[in-house]
Amino acid sequence: MALILAVDTTAGTSVALLRDDRVLAEFGHDSGVKHAELIGSAIHEVFERTGVRPQALDAVVVGRGPALFTGLRVGIAAGLMFAEAVGAKLIGAVSHDAIALELYSSDGSLPGLPLLITTDARRGEVYWALYGGLEDAGIPVVLAGPGVGKHAQVVVALEAEFGSFTERTGGASAQWVARLAARQMIAGVASEDTTALYLRAPDAVMPKPNQQFGKRVSG
Amino acid sequence: MMRYTIRPAQIADLAAIMELEHDAFASDYWSEASMRDELTASHTSYFVVARTTSAEPGYRVVGYAGLAKLPGSTQSDVQTIAVESRERDKGLGRRLMEQLIAEARRLGATEIFLDVRADNPVAQHLYESLGFETIDRRKTYYQPDGVDAIVMRLVIPAATEVQPVVLGIESSCDETGVGIVRGTTLLANVISSSMEAHARFGGVVPEVAARAHLEALQPTIRKALAEAQISLEEVDAIAVANGPGLAGALMVGVGAAKALAVGLGKPIYAVNHLVGHVGADVLERGEVEVPTIALLVSGGHTSLLLVRDLIDDVQLLGETIDDAAGEAFDKVARLLGLRYPGGPEIDRVAAEGDPKAIRFPRGLTLPKDMEKHRYDFSFSGLKTAVARWVEVAQDSGQEFSVPDVAASFREAVVDVLVSKAVNACLDHKVPRLLLGGGVVANRRLREVAAERCQANGIELRIPAFDLCTDNGAMIAALGAQLVMAGRQASDLGFGADSTLPVTTIQTA
Repeated sequence: MALILAVDTTAGTSVALLRDDRVLAEFGHDSGVKHAELIGSAIHEVFERTGVRPQALDAVVVGRGPALFTGLRVGIAAGLMFAEAVGAKLIGAVSHDAIALELYSSDGSLPGLPLLITTDARRGEVYWALYGGLEDAGIPVVLAGPGVGKHAQVVVALEAEFGSFTERTGGASAQWVARLAARQMIAGVASEDTTALYLRAPDAVMPKPNQQFGKRVSG
Repeated sequence: MMRYTIRPAQIADLAAIMELEHDAFASDYWSEASMRDELTASHTSYFVVARTTSAEPGYRVVGYAGLAKLPGSTQSDVQTIAVESRERDKGLGRRLMEQLIAEARRLGATEIFLDVRADNPVAQHLYESLGFETIDRRKTYYQPDGVDAIVMRLVIPAATEVQPVVLGIESSCDETGVGIVRGTTLLANVISSSMEAHARFGGVVPEVAARAHLEALQPTIRKALAEAQISLEEVDAIAVANGPGLAGALMVGVGAAKALAVGLGKPIYAVNHLVGHVGADVLERGEVEVPTIALLVSGGHTSLLLVRDLIDDVQLLGETIDDAAGEAFDKVARLLGLRYPGGPEIDRVAAEGDPKAIRFPRGLTLPKDMEKHRYDFSFSGLKTAVARWVEVAQDSGQEFSVPDVAASFREAVVDVLVSKAVNACLDHKVPRLLLGGGVVANRRLREVAAERCQANGIELRIPAFDLCTDNGAMIAALGAQLVMAGRQASDLGFGADSTLPVTTIQTA
């Protein structure tokens, strides 16, 4: 029996409270820009609706991405601090793993097949990860990734190495992040690493040596 | 410039008090003998307001008030209170009353009673605003005028109720700050800076700063709690800076603060980062003396504020129209081959230079600019002027003194900053200037501000450097002021606002 709060802000703002596999309450909003506004009420609401005391939590799970940075950070920051406030164990989960678990669990046509999960990474690129079904503990088997790249190039490279696969695009939901973590906890493979999976270096321009300002008007 | 101090009354004040007594209570003043008894009795506490001015030596008593409390009793009485007629409307009556309430609490009283003339609505209003309630009316009590007395009572709030423990989070730029205060007492102020990570870029990179905040959150909070020697459960409220600043950076703090508040079941206060800089002063002085002009100078801001009330009335007089002063220091430092951050480097090199060697332009100080931008700043033109000057010198093959360039540049920045701040004080007849922001570390800025404030009779306040640079304690301090004033907590739905105006002291 484990009471788990999951927070995932890789797509919209998704928060869920589960006892083992059962969803007690869930909050979902698909806005990709309102994470900071929504996160407080989202967490508040799942406890308010169920009457569960936050201090009763066994674990707080955060979706680590990969995802667009700004929203991703809001969820991880909130998860970190919520665990700190209520004294719960903190767990990090790869959001694409949760998407894979959801699809394998709910789409009967998929089991066993290699599955490519892609999400929008902007700039003409996708965040991706390739899975090879569920292992005995019910946890997705990662064949490759997560990574970021141009869609066509990613597909060509993966086909060359792994042969054919099915591709699905999607967004992580907190209830599947929680289910993934619950299985990982049972299997003893849950990770305390909650660092964000950015997969890209920060946008920053290195100044040229002795860089001056604007164009020269003299000399 | 005038300054008012409240201190315990001495017998030497008797003559001055009697003069005020006659002035204030024309028809029913106490005799000098009665007043002497009051001042010397063991069960009374008397205070006076002493006015000092820079123009004349010594002080003048312009108000007084007394409290009586018998040993063993939990009740106390306001004996009298008066302020010289010319000195009214300056909040001195309120300050005296607050002093009496604090004294009553200190002596163990739980209630204060007072009588007030029914024909004095101004005084009644003051007492009501302090929490006094009318409990009785005595007919024709004041003689010979035959005026009724209204009896009022205040149940003194326990000291613990007005000293909330507030944890503040600051993440508007490159410093992750967590501060903890109890009322106006600083318990912890931990700052984790990502400055080193920005050094190779020559300036703050927003994404680098935001990533660093996320990594620093947990260790910084834990360190602050350890420093304050409290646990999270002892925190009464959370405060967070929700702007202005870098949006992505602010959002890390906002998300973290909301989760803490919900997890602890405590209220959250979303406060203005810039007003937080002003609020830092309560941690050193117990209050921010108002009105005051505040000059806030950092790598992200250069703002001049008029603060009439820390939590109710802050106005933006002016700000930079291009680069922040700190940014100008960074850019000129790079041009001169100095390291990042530029402020301390230029300060160091300039110590050997002549500030008068080169006359660099003072941005927005020409008469035509002063009409439209009296309190605004511009450092972009100055930075370009330095670049052009260096180019010309290099192209002509002349050796030039880097210390002279650094000193002259620094002088131009400091001159404009201080001139405009002092102008703001004089224009608005505000005898106080408060400095805040990381650039306050600049030695020359402190020197020039001190010189010119003294010359103009302006009191200069510079909080300790850890309270000047971006920090969580100032956010906690401002949050605590809101809690103590009984303000409603912010709604959980607030966002980060990179351009939050200073007039929004708290986001509802």
